[in-house]
Amino acid sequence: MKLTYAKTGLLLFLMVFSFLLMPIPSHAASDSSSYIVENLKAEDIPDDDGGGLVLSWKPLPKEKRIIEYRIYRGVNKDTLFYHGKVDVNVKTGVSGDVMYYYDSGYNNFVDLQSPRKLKKEQQQSEDSPLYGSYPRDLKVTGPQLANYQILGVIPEKDFLFKNTKIEVEEEDGSVVYAGLKLRHFSGLYKKLIPGKEYFYTVFAVTESRSYMPYAEPIIGVPIDNSPEKIQNLYSAYVEDQSIMKFEWVRSLFTSDQTNHSLYLLKKSDLTAFNNYIDEQKKAEIDPEFTTTLENPAQLIFQRYCGYPYTPNNTVEVEIVNGKIINDEKHINVEVGAIESYLAVFSLQDRAGYETFSEVSSFDICNSAILPDLSDVWNVADRLNDKGDYNVVQWGKPTVFLTNSTFLNEDKTRILVNYDVYKNTKYDKIKNIFFNVFDMAGNKISTINEFYQDSKLKVNLNEPSQSVKFEMRIVANGSTGEDQIFTQSLVFNDEIKSLQPGKLFLNGKEVNKYSYSVYKNNYSNEEWRLSKKALGSQREIFDNVTYRSYIYKGVSKFDAKKGLFLVSSSFSARLDDELKNPIMTDLYPQEVTKTLDQYKEELANLITMRDTTDSEAEIAGLNANIDAYQSQIDLNENNSILKKAAEFKNKRARIKFLEKVKTIASRSFKYKIVKSDGKAHFSSSDVYRTEKVKKLPFSKAARKSFTTLGIDHFYPMPNWFQADKFPALIATFIFGFMVFFMIKQAKKGKELYIRPIAGIDEIDNAIGRATEMGRPILFVPGLSGISDVATLAGLSILGRVAKKAAEYDTRILVPVRDYIVLPIAQEVVKEAHYEAGRPDSHDKNSVFFITTSQFAFVAGVNGVMIREKTATNFYMGMFWAEALIMTETGNTTGAIQISGTDAVTQIPFFITTCDYTLIGEELYAASAYLAREPLQLGTLKAVDYTKFLIISFVIIGTLLSTVHATFLINAFPEK
Amino acid sequence: MKRQIPLIIIMTLGFMFVAHSFIPHKISADFFDWFQDWVKAISPFAVSLGVISLFMVNGTKISRKVPNWQYSVITLAGLVFTALAGFIWGTQSGTPYMWLFENVQMPMSATMFALLAFYIASAAYKAFRARSAQATVLLLAAIIVMLGQVPLGAMISKWIPETSKWILNVPNLAAKRAIMIGVGLGMTATSLKILLGIERTYLGGGD
Repeated sequence: MKLTYAKTGLLLFLMVFSFLLMPIPSHAASDSSSYIVENLKAEDIPDDDGGGLVLSWKPLPKEKRIIEYRIYRGVNKDTLFYHGKVDVNVKTGVSGDVMYYYDSGYNNFVDLQSPRKLKKEQQQSEDSPLYGSYPRDLKVTGPQLANYQILGVIPEKDFLFKNTKIEVEEEDGSVVYAGLKLRHFSGLYKKLIPGKEYFYTVFAVTESRSYMPYAEPIIGVPIDNSPEKIQNLYSAYVEDQSIMKFEWVRSLFTSDQTNHSLYLLKKSDLTAFNNYIDEQKKAEIDPEFTTTLENPAQLIFQRYCGYPYTPNNTVEVEIVNGKIINDEKHINVEVGAIESYLAVFSLQDRAGYETFSEVSSFDICNSAILPDLSDVWNVADRLNDKGDYNVVQWGKPTVFLTNSTFLNEDKTRILVNYDVYKNTKYDKIKNIFFNVFDMAGNKISTINEFYQDSKLKVNLNEPSQSVKFEMRIVANGSTGEDQIFTQSLVFNDEIKSLQPGKLFLNGKEVNKYSYSVYKNNYSNEEWRLSKKALGSQREIFDNVTYRSYIYKGVSKFDAKKGLFLVSSSFSARLDDELKNPIMTDLYPQEVTKTLDQYKEELANLITMRDTTDSEAEIAGLNANIDAYQSQIDLNENNSILKKAAEFKNKRARIKFLEKVKTIASRSFKYKIVKSDGKAHFSSSDVYRTEKVKKLPFSKAARKSFTTLGIDHFYPMPNWFQADKFPALIATFIFGFMVFFMIKQAKKGKELYIRPIAGIDEIDNAIGRATEMGRPILFVPGLSGISDVATLAGLSILGRVAKKAAEYDTRILVPVRDYIVLPIAQEVVKEAHYEAGRPDSHDKNSVFFITTSQFAFVAGVNGVMIREKTATNFYMGMFWAEALIMTETGNTTGAIQISGTDAVTQIPFFITTCDYTLIGEELYAASAYLAREPLQLGTLKAVDYTKFLIISFVIIGTLLSTVHATFLINAFPEK
Repeated sequence: MKRQIPLIIIMTLGFMFVAHSFIPHKISADFFDWFQDWVKAISPFAVSLGVISLFMVNGTKISRKVPNWQYSVITLAGLVFTALAGFIWGTQSGTPYMWLFENVQMPMSATMFALLAFYIASAAYKAFRARSAQATVLLLAAIIVMLGQVPLGAMISKWIPETSKWILNVPNLAAKRAIMIGVGLGMTATSLKILLGIERTYLGGGD
């Protein structure tokens, strides 16, 4: 279409006019007060730690075309900061009558993406209390630290090495803090303070992003509640072992839980116990209420359950001589006939609240019904990784059916899919034998899966409602005779196919039980869940991350220096009993100061004890004296702290402590629990090995870790990925061939290269454009520079551009990727210089169109039609747009040569182009055109390597046919 | 020096990345991540090159009043207007930028994509003309595969879906894999040529 001034003006006018048609119905809203949200409420979230409120309001009708609701929060109604938003689908609106927003847990406080200065919220009047989110400006943000619980998550290295010592004068004297810049925090998170008043408001945003008036701010007060009640408690008593076993379903909200407790309750005391619970609930609701009842249940077990890890949910309590005794917890309970007892589980939180489960009766059983955990298991460092995984493996491999499909209408031929769970110890599966039986128990067929492709075909004599499979695995020298798996395929009328039923191993149901792998390191008191696995699984990989963080409460700041202040003390690890943290400080002087304070406090306590007569006071003071004494002993005698004190250089000291922390946090011991989920479980001991692996730590660093390598496993990074060994060999062979063939070519040996029509025609195609006096179009693919096809395309572009320059023919190169653009420009420019025709080079001949796929195609098609290109080259990576371009080129009558390695686009190129370079020919083209020994040698080496690969394919096929799979198994699967 | 320094950088980094694929060690993984961060940081600067190119090419057309120069005005107006809309009102839902994207860019892209259906029909017609023995085989295979994908095929004969599956899974897959092996080797060879400095055309010029 020929454009005139009038037409251009009309087009531009239409563009602007269409923009003005943008739907702005809310602008037309005459009464903005109808956009104010109603029924805004802030209520406490039940069962939480006092850090949560739930906001609710009535959503505006769909006709108001709201796209989001914005929430603002503050500690007084005059200053409310942006807190969050709820997006709404403008077309569907909100379906319910009430909208909810949960302000709970830790959420972002301030980070590097926060605004530099405090800004009034957009579209607000001068007197509006609404502001944007908290800025990085400490003068504004600093005072807000007092209004929330602020948690600083600091990368360990930043905390240890990038801190600034800051002394702050406080009531008790000068206190030292570690000052950190905002950039040293991985995140600063805020949470509501229980019992504090918070103000909230909400407003709606319309489709045209108009901020509607905000609702009158309301007050919310979060309250610390007792923990959430657990759903199920299961209790079993193993009579022949005199052991009580307990298992429960974990609660969802765990943030402030501190203790797991178990109680024994006489059945006769059940009413009294319920009364006690009722009274406790009343006391929780009404702090003025005074409790009078005592818990009639007797504590038999208690342990700390530290957040944020998933704690163990099984407990064993042994009865010895009719008693349950635990001196540490002061438990001494006499147990009578177990039938007369009920079990109760409780969760306690930091505020001292306790929530009891429903009572549970004991299932009195014998150890014979407990799951068998005699499988040999072990823990090892996972191979071929960067040192971030330990592997826990057990048992021999399992095989099971996963699905089946009828292959014919008669339903007498089925494709059965199966899978195998194996582990590193039993990874070489030689055969899997399948015996197939019909409904009557007659053997239909025997299949030997010598190559496990996870599918097998079975011929049935007649359509069957059920087919039984007996399976045996031969692996790593085991014949599998002792492990016979059985599983049936049963016809499912709903999906009209045979579906796998339960899997049995030697007659026992495999997935009735599951494995839970627990782990613990030197830094935590409690065991935590690593992974849960099905009864048929045989290994889990436990992720041991490298990234380590320090979590610190942040309540102070230094606005002048722009620092957030955190406590400078930190724990190196727990002591050997995993009870007391070995605390130290970033600054050596503070360690001495703390020790002196302990000694002074101890002396005061001893004086107080010597001057008091009350026995109760003396007992209390003695407990404190013991605690201080043990801290002093720990500080003076602990090998880590003693070694750290020897360092003169501060950085060397911190480096030593960092190493200790790393070993402590990355070394784990493991145990397995096999359970049916209902307290019938068996628990393993901690895994220990005698083959202690040498670890690359200094003697000083590992001195305090006496069990490291024996029961604590530290994953080590590997320097070579062993499963890529065949790839490395292949690379060397290929590299050798390249060098050899290049040498041959340089010696002058004639290397035969198969003629490729597409490449031979390049010269003719350029000549055609020259004769017709029209330009050449060259598209170097739509991919980026990291794609080898693009590089190959650019190499061909260099050759084509040189020829075009020699013939003085224009070349047009539209580019989609802006990184490819300067490279393509340079290629074309150099080609013109090499051809001795710098004068004919037009710097605008290589140009960027757009990164949008189809817009780029439209642009290229436009160039073809307007410039009437005589020859079109498409060399590189193409997607769905390929056909649109080549068909357009076809209609313009241009000669077209294409080359791509995109298998899906090759058919389209073959159909619409005159010549097509298929796959590897694209990569060969440059060498073919250059005809240099170096290039030809490489090309020849590719041919020989291809021959080698084909040889392997043929040999592998022949060997597999005679059940020899060693060659196939020698190569990694992917 | 103009060639040697880029070549040294390419060869050094290239071999380091080859080594990286065989070394899972943390040092190697960290180096790779660090390098990726740099790539991410550098990429946005290249956007300006694209925009400058667009301005230069279209600006030249407008100033020289070459035939159809008016299209260039619309291109540049569209670029400036969209960019300004994004900078002034942001890119969130409900902004002019997003409106342009949803109501101009997306329908136009969809239109171009929809054209593909007609082009495929046209290409299929060309491909399936039984002008030679090979073309006849191709035509027959295509008919069987197409019929095998629809219920009609199974109604005609139960062998049509089976044959269709066989064509796709055996000869078609074999040919595809052969191409893939060739492509893999070609890519390796090209990469090796680049690493060893044998192939330098992409640096500008031939040898």
